[in-house]
Amino acid sequence: MDSIIRAAGMYIALMLLFRVAGRRSLADLTTFDFVLLLIIGEATQQALLGDDFSFTNAMLVIATLIVLDVGLSLAKLNSKPLARLLDGHATLVVEHGRFLHHRIHRARLTEDDILESARDSQGIEKVEQIKFAIVERNGKISIIPNE
Amino acid sequence: MTDDELVSRQQPVQEDMTMQQRVWRFERVGWYLLVVIVLLGLAGVFGNGPLSNAQVTSADGRLHVEYQRLSRSGTTDSLRITVRGSAREPIMVQLDGSLLREASIETLQPQPQASLSQGKAILLQLGTSEDGIATLYLTLRSEYVGTLECAVRAGPSSAVHFSTFLFP
Repeated sequence: MDSIIRAAGMYIALMLLFRVAGRRSLADLTTFDFVLLLIIGEATQQALLGDDFSFTNAMLVIATLIVLDVGLSLAKLNSKPLARLLDGHATLVVEHGRFLHHRIHRARLTEDDILESARDSQGIEKVEQIKFAIVERNGKISIIPNE
Repeated sequence: MTDDELVSRQQPVQEDMTMQQRVWRFERVGWYLLVVIVLLGLAGVFGNGPLSNAQVTSADGRLHVEYQRLSRSGTTDSLRITVRGSAREPIMVQLDGSLLREASIETLQPQPQASLSQGKAILLQLGTSEDGIATLYLTLRSEYVGTLECAVRAGPSSAVHFSTFLFP
């Protein structure tokens, strides 16, 4: 019984923590982010399984996590406000070649981050060539160039 | 210009800036909250720190117990009991309370001369040194979550009572 409560608690706690960390934090994985993710996984694993390394316990924990995850995605399908609350919105950060500085600052981005994405995905050199830059819900920056 | 940035755009994506601002505020407040949690952790609110180390002495000063006021479920905690008696004469120490029932005693150093049960309590007979002091080191481990009570008695007049809170 306690392994199910533990798994559910961990799911909710991690969801809150990653929401605090924001969209940007683990979207573009650098080597350091990858190591950080591994450490987070390691720290979680101990608390999830406790002292019980049995097959049954592992299955119970996995089943609980999947039930919660699929349940949440079903709930999001049925309720648009809930989906908006949990996934957030896409946010525009460049509009017709002009940086929206306040938004960039609040989203903890820099102008260089946006230009890097522009170079990477579209081969764009200057901000004037960008029609729209959008921070997507998963933290990636989409670039739409001027025609 | 900032005001203009707070207006929700319809093109090329549907925005909700009031919601987005709430999200940003949540992230900021959440960050400060995490900093506070980390600082509390350093201070020992979640065990093993200055705030969680505690000690209690009986009214007559013979019995002294050092324990963890706050701890976590599943970790080992040390408990140190010091009793003053007469030189070279064994002392009986009685341990009682939910702490002993819920937690398992991982180590007990030094081994008491005798260990008896007395109702729900355990009675330990400790040998004393030449200055009449006996010390008992225990490490306890419990999977329990919540408050555990413990009472230590040495003779009729010396008794201390303390409680430990275990975080999940």
